[in-house]
Amino acid sequence: MLVVSPAPHVGGLSSTRRLNWSVACCLLPAAAWGVFLFGVPALSVLGVALGASLAAELLAALAWRRVTLADGSAAVTGLLVGMLMPPGVPLYVPAVASAFAIIIVKQSFGGLGRNWMNPALGGVVFALFSWANAMNSWLPARGVAAGTGVLPPLNALRAALTGAKSAHRGALAVLGASSYPWSAADGRVVAWINTHILSLAGWSLPGGVFDMLVGNIPGRIGDVSVPLLFLGAAYLLGRRVIRWQVPVTYLVTFCVAAQIFGGLPMGCGWGTGGALFQLFSGSLVLGAFFMATDPVTSPLTGTGKLLYGMCLGVLSFFLRYFGSGGDGVPLAIVLGNCVVPVIDRFAQPRVGSPGKAAAG
Amino acid sequence: MTRPSGFIRNNPVAAVLIGLCPAAAVTGRVIDALWMSLGLVFVLVLTRVSEAILRGLNKAPSGQRPSRPEPLRHTQSSQSLTAGWLGRLFLASCFTASFEVILQAFAPDESASLGIYVSLIAINCIVLDRVSEQRALGAPKATGTEILRALQDSIAVGAGFAVSLMVISLVREVLGAGTITLFPVGSFGGTVVVGNVSLEPARALIYTGGGFLCLGYLAGVARLLGHVRRREREQSRPEAGPV
Amino acid sequence: MKRQRTLPQIGGAEPPSVLLSSGDISNASIPPFALIPMLQHAGMPARCLVRPGDKVQEGMLIGKADGARSANVHSSVPGTVVSVSETKGADGVACQAALIEFGGEFGRTGKPISTSDWQALPRAELLGRISACGVVGLGGGLLPTHIKLARERGRAVSLLIANGMESEPSLHADFCLMREKSREIAVGMRICQRILDAARVVLAISELSEEGLAPFFRRAFAETGGGFEIMALPGRYPQGHEDLVRGSVVARTASSNGNPPCVESVDCVVLNVATLFAVYEAVVLQRPLIERLVTVSGSAVRRPGVLKVRVGTRVGDLFEECGGLVDPPGKVVLGGPMRGVCVSSLDYPVTKGVAGVMAFTRAEARGGSQLPCIRCGACIEACAWGLVPTRLNKLIEQGSTAAAFAEGLSSCTECGCCAFACPSRIPLVDGLRKGKKLGAIDTNG
Repeated sequence: MLVVSPAPHVGGLSSTRRLNWSVACCLLPAAAWGVFLFGVPALSVLGVALGASLAAELLAALAWRRVTLADGSAAVTGLLVGMLMPPGVPLYVPAVASAFAIIIVKQSFGGLGRNWMNPALGGVVFALFSWANAMNSWLPARGVAAGTGVLPPLNALRAALTGAKSAHRGALAVLGASSYPWSAADGRVVAWINTHILSLAGWSLPGGVFDMLVGNIPGRIGDVSVPLLFLGAAYLLGRRVIRWQVPVTYLVTFCVAAQIFGGLPMGCGWGTGGALFQLFSGSLVLGAFFMATDPVTSPLTGTGKLLYGMCLGVLSFFLRYFGSGGDGVPLAIVLGNCVVPVIDRFAQPRVGSPGKAAAG
Repeated sequence: MTRPSGFIRNNPVAAVLIGLCPAAAVTGRVIDALWMSLGLVFVLVLTRVSEAILRGLNKAPSGQRPSRPEPLRHTQSSQSLTAGWLGRLFLASCFTASFEVILQAFAPDESASLGIYVSLIAINCIVLDRVSEQRALGAPKATGTEILRALQDSIAVGAGFAVSLMVISLVREVLGAGTITLFPVGSFGGTVVVGNVSLEPARALIYTGGGFLCLGYLAGVARLLGHVRRREREQSRPEAGPV
Repeated sequence: MKRQRTLPQIGGAEPPSVLLSSGDISNASIPPFALIPMLQHAGMPARCLVRPGDKVQEGMLIGKADGARSANVHSSVPGTVVSVSETKGADGVACQAALIEFGGEFGRTGKPISTSDWQALPRAELLGRISACGVVGLGGGLLPTHIKLARERGRAVSLLIANGMESEPSLHADFCLMREKSREIAVGMRICQRILDAARVVLAISELSEEGLAPFFRRAFAETGGGFEIMALPGRYPQGHEDLVRGSVVARTASSNGNPPCVESVDCVVLNVATLFAVYEAVVLQRPLIERLVTVSGSAVRRPGVLKVRVGTRVGDLFEECGGLVDPPGKVVLGGPMRGVCVSSLDYPVTKGVAGVMAFTRAEARGGSQLPCIRCGACIEACAWGLVPTRLNKLIEQGSTAAAFAEGLSSCTECGCCAFACPSRIPLVDGLRKGKKLGAIDTNG
């Protein structure tokens, strides 16, 4: 029996399944680092989040009469929810957040491709509003003694800056002055660099540079290690699983805004914002490369994506500096998702005659 | 259609999706929803019935024609519609004000908790007229029938509204605060604490956003049940000839 | 000056193309039975002139063009007419077809060729010969060539383009034809230039085949009088489409003058090189269109290649000529992988419009399962006409075909790039085609 089907009869190499599973695989290095840093609690959070999302997707299969686990989107959602949780969080939080993400944010609107809000972020924002205290259960980094009041650098900075303006320049200086517990390894590496390399030029690095760069800081499981996230993102960009327009404009807009205006709360003046510190704190890189680039909830065209990236950068900046939560990224992306239909309307490609198209 | 539809088919919150302001705002606690529903039913019933009575009084007795020809009810002119609307608003405001006073007298805490939404009951009555307006079409009947119809209709709509609010508030309060707040009666303190949930409730549901979430799902479930019932009815109907 | 954007930057796709081991043309065997349909062109079917039992010769007229928009049909083999019956083409359109059993002597094949001097003939006579020989557009449009050439007769045409770009990625026949018959094609271009009074003539070929073909054509143009240009265009699909060839040639011409004209303002006619060869044969040799080059390809074919095939040959026999099928095929396609039509049996005849046949294995034919649209935008990037296929499809699904047409549905040429690029394997082209058909029904009442 010969198959009769409409043209075309060949397909490109990309498939939705492959796109989703690539994203899941590229998240694993950063997730593994989180487990390495925080141990069994992190592993159980990730496991529960992933399990809950897969279970929720199976539940939704009852409604659609078709099991949709193979397309990989539930795995990505579960992994992202887990990676956005602090490691010490009680396990019902990632479970409910994952189930919320799959059932309410994705499946209630029609399943894959029909949701307007990023499912993982919807679940995380729900958890942030519901269990605000639990979402602040941080664990210390490696090589740092466990004590009370463990805070990620961003939250510690905010705490240090409430009240009188600090006399120090730069986020790391402020943290150093408030005796933020960097790890012993950090102390050794920074001291070595300062004495052997930078002393020749008369500079010195503040403590904490090594910890921040490598990702040995308290924080959410998946967003502590920025280099590993960049690694995963580079693979995805190289294989054209995600496009460059959203993450690059997002990060550039945010960093420019942060650098120019970010020093003002510290009383340091314009242009001293410490964009690098901001880049390596919180879930900015995770959000920019893995969540803002979700094709379902981002604009269709390249121009639209550029606009969207800029919107997200501005929103993240405002929410991080003037919002009440520590890290403005999840909420900023959710707000950006609301604006996407408007951006799509503005950024339609112009239909021209083929001659025009060929001629540019 | 003789059975009033305001309870299920034209349920304002779950089916028609109007009057959502109190449905999202005052359903944070069960007791709030309860008082709000009571107030709405009170005002709605009294407004409609008084309106029906007044209409009946306004009608000229048979044999005496009014100086201006009365337009037919089912093609009401805009002028008479406006007049009806303003009249209803006046009546509703009077009864709302009375309810406000009653509430302040008997449950001052509740009055404070509900705040401005008690005053908004008047507006809600006008809004809910949208649901009943459809039923007002038809030839004008005798005053007694009109009054009875108004009573039936307003009780149905009010009850529908009340049930929707109760469902939403139960879900929101149980999941979002871990309690069920009711009237204190005797030794019962007035608050039921629901075991494990009250330790770490999902506070997002207490916010208005969470309220809209529950509201949306109520509307969705109502729709689903409607679909299911319609399909069952179609299947059980004997096979008819070609339509 | 604004940098000219060419096709690869605004769309297209890179479907896998079959590399042929040898680029030679082999002659396919004469078919024992030739099934010749009366509708092998765009327009009204020809009127069948023969009845069962009639004896026919090679190249004899068996179907007369019916009306203005029709073409003649000739018998490709000598023999006897077995039956004249209604058949359905691969695209589902029904028409009369004559089944001729091969027998007897060839009138022309194997006999010495007689040429005639065409330069002395008037324009009307040239068109008459083209029309009599049933020449149609072999690049895919199948428009009777005498109509295409005659339409422009009132005014002079400024640009004649000979389209030497393959219209589908797996097709190779045009390349082989250009390599072997460059002089004849040049004469065909000269004939058409004379008919159209074209100011400028350009041969458009793919950059990939430029090295292999340009020397032949430069020599051929020099022999036939010169003045023709060769332009190499990017080889990315669907650059071979008539609209895009026209656009690219006009755009590149303009850049050398300094100001780009609007492509609509340039009076331009595009003809495929195979059509030009058929024009040469019709005018100079007075030979009707009874055979064409067909590319046989696909992973299920043992020895893919280019065959010279008589019209009416059974498709299944072509596969036998190419070493047979490796496995029982999963899918057989007439045409190429991007636009070709699937057939449900191997008994279809090769007509004037069949540029290639492909056989896919069972594994390839299965394809992937369809997933919902994830709004990735790959189809928008792939569309060379600037459309938004995902949005058009959604509008058509919802029934708003009028809105779809307002957003450019009529520009769609069903090239297949969008569906090729779609990671969710959504049959976008099928949906767009259905939408266009619904729109046509609406306007026709």
